[in-house]
Amino acid sequence: MMFWRLVFQLLRGSRGRLAVAILAIVSGAAVISALLNLDLGVQNKLTQEFRSLGANIVISPANSTPTMEGAATPSLMREDEVLHSLQRLQSPEVAVAAPYLYIVARTQDTPVVVTGTWLDQAQRIEPTWKLEGNWISSRDDDSHCLIGRAVARQLHLAPDGQLELGYVNRRKQCTVAGVVDAGGAEDNQVFANLHAVQSLANLPGQIGLVQISVSGAPDNVADYAARLAVALPSGVQVRPIRQVTEAEGSLLGRIQFLIVSMVVLILILTALCVLGTMAALAMERRKDVGLMKSLGGSISRIMGLFLAEVGVLGAVGGLIGAILGVTLSYWMGLRVFGAAISPRWEIFPVTVLLMIVVAMAGALPLRALGDVKPAVILRGE
Amino acid sequence: MATVVEIENLRKEFGSVRALDGISLRIDHGEWIAIMGPSGSGKTTLINILGGLDSPTSGRAMVDGTDVARLDETGLTRFRAEKVGFVFQQFHLVPYLTALENVMLAQYFHSTTDEKEARQSLERVGLSDRSEHLPLQLSGGEQQRVAVARALINHPKLILADEPTGNLDEMNEQIVLNLLRQLHQEGHTILMVTHAPSIGRLADRRIELAHGRLAHISAASLRPEPV
Repeated sequence: MMFWRLVFQLLRGSRGRLAVAILAIVSGAAVISALLNLDLGVQNKLTQEFRSLGANIVISPANSTPTMEGAATPSLMREDEVLHSLQRLQSPEVAVAAPYLYIVARTQDTPVVVTGTWLDQAQRIEPTWKLEGNWISSRDDDSHCLIGRAVARQLHLAPDGQLELGYVNRRKQCTVAGVVDAGGAEDNQVFANLHAVQSLANLPGQIGLVQISVSGAPDNVADYAARLAVALPSGVQVRPIRQVTEAEGSLLGRIQFLIVSMVVLILILTALCVLGTMAALAMERRKDVGLMKSLGGSISRIMGLFLAEVGVLGAVGGLIGAILGVTLSYWMGLRVFGAAISPRWEIFPVTVLLMIVVAMAGALPLRALGDVKPAVILRGE
Repeated sequence: MATVVEIENLRKEFGSVRALDGISLRIDHGEWIAIMGPSGSGKTTLINILGGLDSPTSGRAMVDGTDVARLDETGLTRFRAEKVGFVFQQFHLVPYLTALENVMLAQYFHSTTDEKEARQSLERVGLSDRSEHLPLQLSGGEQQRVAVARALINHPKLILADEPTGNLDEMNEQIVLNLLRQLHQEGHTILMVTHAPSIGRLADRRIELAHGRLAHISAASLRPEPV
């Protein structure tokens, strides 16, 4: 096809001049695609990092003020109702969920907060806890418990030690499986499986709260919380833990703003670089355009050739740059997060499209060729 | 015989300079006209107007029934593509296109390209073996023959040649003149600007311009045989 044959020859004929433009486009595309890939990848990485900070949604009775430090809960919820609602609303965003029941029991005449939960799940909710000894991996294990570092120190207990808990007139003996170092209020607590604590407190089927760790951006968390609120029975409330979600949202927002600002800046710089090259090219092409016009070439057909040339330049430069950029972000992911940021395929068309638009914007000086008077040009003026 | 060009009281002014001052002229189909005269006499201005590259200040310039003076930009573009074929002194080939592509470029702007026809056109000017060469790889004479092939490719009503041998050595000059003579014999209408009286004598009529006016029209008395 003659059109593309001419475009190819235009590109070949001005390859020296266009090398500068394509270098600018490749560089711009590489940085932009790396940033965009990082932006998308970083959201996932940061969300994962934030999930290690613990739960970001809490379900509690409507008239209580839930705390994750194990304060006494003035009212309780029915475990089966809440968990049934959670199961009905099964969502891939829920990384982990665990019910909690807090009671204040006594051991060696000392009051101690005993936390009943699904210990197999609680480990995933609190992945930063350090543990001396063994974790309790089954939620049906009623004979073992975990104790906080401060409790262990106060009661002179170590893994495999025996702990007797008393609540009103009931007694429960458990073997210490491990000592938890949480660096917070949990260090003063005893942890046992939910069923064991419910039995001790004589609160079968009762829970104080449910902690949920939801993956995804802050918007996803808020959206899930809203859906959950609708699905749960009355008398129960859902609260996103603001410190976590807001910190996450704020950080992601700042990173996004930074990346978008840099992308815009690089787009402008790339366009300016292309603009400079095209201004010089427009001067060189005046004679060719004059000749083409004398041969009966309409300005739209002539400009169509030049714009296609610039479009090809943007597309090829954008594609090469996108490949380089994604490779760059892969390497940066390894360096910054210790894990590669895998390529996002949507980056390629977005980068190519952006580069075509930038190249077209940079080709603005070619518009001046529309005013070329063939008679003047062919006279050699 | 049908009239291809009819000029009436044609004027062209560049500011205070009067390049053409009331020229009237008729050229019949198949005629070979040589336009002669000193520099600045208006020769190039006249063929630029007839070729739709420039517009007259006043008067009429009919080419194959179209008044060039009345055409807008779009009309002039179509006119240049369909009615005239240019041969310039400086050849004016696109440097990054091969000889074949330079010919096909005129086809492209006219309508659709036909590579076979473009090759035949180059063959006609004796350049079938140079079709894939870039202008820089061709001699001046060869470049001008490519320009002739390009001028002919769309079967124009009028061939406008502005000093077509002005940049050629004697041997290449004869080759190009033989080509023009051949085109004339085939019935093409040729309007050629030249300074050289020997070349002017090849034409059916010589029109001499001076200060933008017709100074003299004469029929050629002697036509040298082809070299």
